Amino acid sequence: MSGSTIKIIIGPQHPALKEPERFILETEGEYVVDVKVRIGYIHRGIEKAMENRTYLQGLYLSERVCGICSDAHTTCYVQGVEELLGIEPPPRSRFIRVIVAELERIHSHLLWLGIAAHEIGFDTLFMYVWRDREVVMDLLELVSGNRVNYAINTIGGVRRDLNNGRIQKMLKGLKILEDRTKEYLKMIGREQTVLKRTVNIGNLSKSDAIKYGAVGPTARASGVKRDVRVDDPYAAYDEISFNVIVEDGCDCLARIMVRGREVLESIHIIREALKKMPDGEIRVRVKPRIPPAEALSRVEAPRGELLYYIKSNGTDKPERCKIRTPTLANIPSLCKMLVGGYIADVPIVLAGIDPCFACMDRVLIIDKEKRKAEVWTLDMLRRYGREWYQKR
Amino acid sequence: MSREEEILEKIKERFGDNVKNITIQRPRRIFAETDMKYLKEILRCARDELGFDHISTITGEDMGEEIELIYHIAYENAIELSIKTRVPKEDPKIATIIDLYPPAGIYEREVHDLLGVMFEGNPDLSPLLLPDNWPKGVYPLRKDVSLEEIKAIIEKGGEEE
Repeated sequence: MSGSTIKIIIGPQHPALKEPERFILETEGEYVVDVKVRIGYIHRGIEKAMENRTYLQGLYLSERVCGICSDAHTTCYVQGVEELLGIEPPPRSRFIRVIVAELERIHSHLLWLGIAAHEIGFDTLFMYVWRDREVVMDLLELVSGNRVNYAINTIGGVRRDLNNGRIQKMLKGLKILEDRTKEYLKMIGREQTVLKRTVNIGNLSKSDAIKYGAVGPTARASGVKRDVRVDDPYAAYDEISFNVIVEDGCDCLARIMVRGREVLESIHIIREALKKMPDGEIRVRVKPRIPPAEALSRVEAPRGELLYYIKSNGTDKPERCKIRTPTLANIPSLCKMLVGGYIADVPIVLAGIDPCFACMDRVLIIDKEKRKAEVWTLDMLRRYGREWYQKR
Repeated sequence: MSREEEILEKIKERFGDNVKNITIQRPRRIFAETDMKYLKEILRCARDELGFDHISTITGEDMGEEIELIYHIAYENAIELSIKTRVPKEDPKIATIIDLYPPAGIYEREVHDLLGVMFEGNPDLSPLLLPDNWPKGVYPLRKDVSLEEIKAIIEKGGEEE
């Protein structure tokens, strides 16, 4: 039967990723022989929009490029703008940036771990991990005031300071997260439900990871020791010592282990940052107009290398702002992983690179009778949930 | 001599006047300009001899009469070398670099979509970000395309088939 292939189209309304993306799989029997990707279903033209807005307005746009790693985007953006301005943010603000970035990494990796568990039909793990993820979401809210789109960064520093009460609460939360993550890592390493679906699935060799330009945990799970935080340090990462987590399994299990162990490393980074954080100002005032210059800013987002190229022209608006997200960089590697595998393994391999989707954790309730909109807080939602179940 | 200076010296020695305005802007950031006919030779040298094994992305920018392309490549994930070259806007054509950096294919598709640069030799320049029925010849990131024009196209729902 060689030569007769069948096309299977997955998406754009993807049942697994909650994100519009279309994959056209060329299959022969049970095997995938070729993949074509079509993205752009949620292309919003943010780069063009930024050229027409001031630097400060651009900050709010960059916050909204991604719903999960919004802090990585604003960090990358403000660093670029600060480089154009030739200013240094105060030391304390650089440590706060590290703390929020690592909290975000913990939330993103735990979210991903839940999704990966769901993709292999292990919904019990999904429920447990997402329950524990609430701890880090509460910590993010404690620090920034928001569960998503934290808006902690601003050009020239950060917008909110940490006090002792918040630090104590954070240390308590981190202990819970540490214990739970260790527990999951121990369990995943010997649980057949996970191992049977992930060992030797979606392989990407070290040489292919480099050749196809893989970034972040996807590259590190293939033994490529690359991390922008260490290789091209920014914020306060050069003042904190930590390990770059590398696994050489090159398969989906390695991708789970890398992210799980990175959660533990992030907890270590936050504790170190809290210890070393100096006192002082958290932001400096900046001028709205920026003389002609260019800056290339990079950060390690939860999914890998994120890059902003910003060019100023003397006005209060950028001439050009180019954004390269890590998911786009991982698409060529993803195609490589899928080819040669089973169709049944496509969901977990797709999820393996942790493609990014937007999420909203707060709701706007419109009261039709009263014709008024009301924003519900997390506590109100929890109370409402409990009452609803009791009434049932 | 720092690693950045070594790289800079090597490129200068190898390509002489064919590489212009090569500067170390700050630690781990090198910018350079070149003519499009030398671009591939420089990229090949950077990849094979200097160890730049990762392409971060390709930035395209409308400069009025010309379109500027910036190839951002990385050495050991730390030093970013940005090589700028220009193609005329009237006839924006340049050779693909997928034979040197396979992941560049997807970045070339992006630049093709948004700025209309033809990458000769790239087998797949189908739309990546724009809808399938986006009108031909409208490249939204070009400066002469206004937000109003883009809005009108979106409201109309694209070009009729």
